[in-house]
Amino acid sequence: MKSYRYIGKSTPRKDALDIVTGRTKFIADLTVPNMLYGRILRSPHPHALIKSIDTAAAMRLPGVKAVLTHADVPDWRAGFPHHVGILDSKVRYVGAGVTLVAAETAEIAENALALIKVEYELLPAVYDPEEATQPNAPQLYDQFPGNVFPRDNLVFGPHTLNGVEMGDPEQGFAEADFIVEGTYAYENIPNPLPPESPAVIASWEGADNLTVWLGSQGPQVFKAAFQRRMGSINLVSYGSPVGASYGAKYASWQYALPAAALSKATGRPVKLVYDKAEHLAAFTLRLGSRIRGKVGMKKDGTVTAMAGDWLVSSGAYSECTQAMVAVGCGEAQLMLRCPNWSLKPQMVCTNRSASGQVRGFGGQELKCALIPILTLGMEQAGLDPVEFFKKHYIKPGDGFYWREGKWWVCTGMDYSQAIDRGAATFGWSEKWRGWLNSTAVSGAKRRGIGVGVHGNADAGEDVSEVYVRLEPNGAAMIHCGIAEHGTGQRSSLCKMAAEILQLPLDRVFVTPTDSLVNPIEIGPVGSRGTYAMGGAVIAAAEDAKRKLFELMAPKLKAPPEALETIDGMVYVQDKPETKLPWIKAMQFHGSVMGYGRFESDFSKPNFMMIFTEVEVDTETGKVELLKVVGATDVGQIIDPLSLTNQLNGCLGSAGIDSAIFEETVLDRQLGRIMNANMIDYKWRTFAELPEMEHAILESPFSTHQFQAIGMGEITPSPGPSAVLMAVSNAIGVRIHEYPLTPDKILTALGKTAPSERMGKQ
Amino acid sequence: MKTFTHINADSVAEAVKLLAQYQGRAKLNAGGTDLLGVLKDRILPDYPEALINIKTIPELSGVAEDEKTITIGALTILADLSAAPLIEKYCPLLKEAVDTVAAPQIRNVATIGGNLCQDTRCWYYRYPDEIGGMIQCLRKGGKTCPAVVGENQYHAIMGAKKCFAVSPSDTAVALTALDATVTLAGGSGTRTLPVEELYTPLGNVLNPDELVTAIYIPKPAPAAKQNFIKFTLRKPIDFAIVSVASLTTLEQGICTAARIVLGAVAYTPVRAREAEKFLTGKELTEETASEAAELALAGAKPLAKNAYKLEIAKTLVKRALLGQ
Repeated sequence: MKSYRYIGKSTPRKDALDIVTGRTKFIADLTVPNMLYGRILRSPHPHALIKSIDTAAAMRLPGVKAVLTHADVPDWRAGFPHHVGILDSKVRYVGAGVTLVAAETAEIAENALALIKVEYELLPAVYDPEEATQPNAPQLYDQFPGNVFPRDNLVFGPHTLNGVEMGDPEQGFAEADFIVEGTYAYENIPNPLPPESPAVIASWEGADNLTVWLGSQGPQVFKAAFQRRMGSINLVSYGSPVGASYGAKYASWQYALPAAALSKATGRPVKLVYDKAEHLAAFTLRLGSRIRGKVGMKKDGTVTAMAGDWLVSSGAYSECTQAMVAVGCGEAQLMLRCPNWSLKPQMVCTNRSASGQVRGFGGQELKCALIPILTLGMEQAGLDPVEFFKKHYIKPGDGFYWREGKWWVCTGMDYSQAIDRGAATFGWSEKWRGWLNSTAVSGAKRRGIGVGVHGNADAGEDVSEVYVRLEPNGAAMIHCGIAEHGTGQRSSLCKMAAEILQLPLDRVFVTPTDSLVNPIEIGPVGSRGTYAMGGAVIAAAEDAKRKLFELMAPKLKAPPEALETIDGMVYVQDKPETKLPWIKAMQFHGSVMGYGRFESDFSKPNFMMIFTEVEVDTETGKVELLKVVGATDVGQIIDPLSLTNQLNGCLGSAGIDSAIFEETVLDRQLGRIMNANMIDYKWRTFAELPEMEHAILESPFSTHQFQAIGMGEITPSPGPSAVLMAVSNAIGVRIHEYPLTPDKILTALGKTAPSERMGKQ
Repeated sequence: MKTFTHINADSVAEAVKLLAQYQGRAKLNAGGTDLLGVLKDRILPDYPEALINIKTIPELSGVAEDEKTITIGALTILADLSAAPLIEKYCPLLKEAVDTVAAPQIRNVATIGGNLCQDTRCWYYRYPDEIGGMIQCLRKGGKTCPAVVGENQYHAIMGAKKCFAVSPSDTAVALTALDATVTLAGGSGTRTLPVEELYTPLGNVLNPDELVTAIYIPKPAPAAKQNFIKFTLRKPIDFAIVSVASLTTLEQGICTAARIVLGAVAYTPVRAREAEKFLTGKELTEETASEAAELALAGAKPLAKNAYKLEIAKTLVKRALLGQ
């Protein structure tokens, strides 16, 4: 294996010292001169028409500078298709914005909310996605009859994937030795809950200049998406260090548009920071997912056909549900090589806080319901799930439809070795006792094991453009609009450039995440940092190096191809003593600009498998996660600690723990989210981590010169279905819903009467 | 957060005087770990005009003993209580209960008096005002308890008539098992009552001008076995889904005295008197413990979503008695 100066070595994250010493400034820490504070009055009703709003008393409160209702705000639209405004005359979930206030202090803004009087005409509400599609169900939007979001949107072009239709399912089922059917649901709508809540400062100046400071995973995307929709204004977006995102804070319009409207109305900058209750009850959750499916299988486990109705519940609006469904449908094919498919999604709106993007992006939601249906077949055929997944995960040469509807042929890797290594690390074959059999029993406690799989072809998604500027004093600046959302990707890009330019790591920098100085950048999503953004950085660094050598060649009296550089000196390869510092090439007042561009490549899926062992107390119903092993192949590790952190991150952020206790509890009488606080929303603390170990392979990958592939996004995604399998095996009974809280376990064991089923009123 | 007046009280008498002066429009602030969240989320219909800081009262902290009794000052910090040798020696189950409260940072500032007097965790009662307004439930003078037909997985399975909130205090469960009493000081003097009698269906018995000053625990028989088990989804932070405290005295395998208390099943810690009576004079075995557990929950009436608590409670009673 190739040895590098930085790649694959542990190097300190460039932002680490500032973060751990509290010097990093997040949006909540920022102030700009003359700034006001925004607050949002939120709806008490899940579904209602606003008849009148009396803002007079609030306006009279000293310090209040603006009170805006749906009649006052600009008609800027968001969502897929564009159907959500800043405020509306109709509210569709408890917590929907009703009135915006800007005031001199946050306290005044808050006090002003209490003075606003709103009259509502109440409408019946619907929470279950199946009920929402019934003929007499309350209708959320005039333009979406039956509460169904349109499938024929153009999010990824005219052929956007909206299902998996392939081969001849009827024929496939006819060829099957047996067919299994089942319904499974992943509808606990967990919140990925990044520590930093959504936050923005917006400053509207003059007629058409808007500047936003965004604590978002994709601050540049706000500019790209909204500049035209806001009236072809001049929009500048500044990113900020992000207190994690997990995909959720890629979207920012929910808070950025209200702040922009308040700033436009007042002519002053407005800061809007959600608190935890708003973050939990009025931002975005995971999609709800329910599949009625059937699988045709041969006795040897070969899947001959897969068919199902996939009910996707998106809450009060579609933030980007169609995109998530498209990617999820693509990912289903990566996990299951099968010639005959008919998977039909239906995307439904209901009267609860909306779902939005979360890591796993449609695929996790899909798999949490789809894999358990496949396990019904594995059980019937008596197959080991690890062997099943190994056989069915995509191999080089296999084809699949990806999100834009195009047929791609896999040019990536066969992950069988990673699966074997993971199984060995976990001790799978020693522990596996067959379906619905526990691994070990001790009194009331029963152990079980389970495994899940996931992969995404987005590791090479979309275009990235990067400039690398070489400076005469032997430093390099990477111009790249990447936000740091906690993964260390900005540091990893520096390592790549430093490796190519052979500079000390502390002489390589990345520009701030500003749209003023960087090319448009969709950012670190879908594990694309390593291959896509890394690819652009590598190309730009190589381009800069080539230009540097061209300038230096006459001075060193050697052709550019004969030159090399180290630590800011250029030398002749076979005469290392013939050397000059960079400044001699560019002069003290010059620089060298390299340019790199990455084009989409969906042919190289990444991979993640998770093995879990649980212990279930059959007398209390408590599920304890004992052990987690992650298995993957990343081609080449860029930064070992960053990678391990990503793999350890499989627990929280609406990942594995969404099978154990993470859930959003919705009261279906009131339409209110009951656990919008950090005690009742159950997230795992550091005080109870399971044993974790990872099997990370490095088989050179045909990506860029470092032969690496990213996979940070997908680490949690195989987890929930693995836990469901493990718990079912531990207790010998199948459970069809998440999370596996004591009530569900004790009900499955026949010890308590079933509670009302989720999703029913 | 709305503004309020903050007053330091130097003595119990001054605190009582201030409480009387504000006629219910003031709140006591000891550790403040719960109070500030209550204020910030604006869960109460009446926002207090003043906070009376009682941390400034010197004589209310500490653990002491005489021949028969352990005395705990109401302002004793939970972390200090856990570390007190007297507690470890005489009341290990109280130490166990204290150590399950919240997280270390909270236990470093929260007080035993505050833990006893904290408001319920019912999520309807605690619903934050900013997400569509507070919920005017029965406990706040409303007409109904939304938990009855709602998300009642953490609510009462015993003894509830109108409000189904449960008492969240872990220490109250332990203290009830220890037969502890609590002294309240108020405008009309002091009174002492069993911890078990501190709670009412909609709160506690404290008058607007009263505060808890001390807790008294009769020293248990040295031979008594003490156990406290708290069931939660997570080890730290969580309030109990169910908890059980037990105190049993065995002589040659025969149970001569038993106290069994259930927590988080009702508005107050619940003594399982039938189970205690049943066990007395019997050998403590898997079978008698199971039967005692059945008796302890005999009066339970779960709601639609909390029948599982009944199973957990039975398991905990059995395990506590058997020391599992």
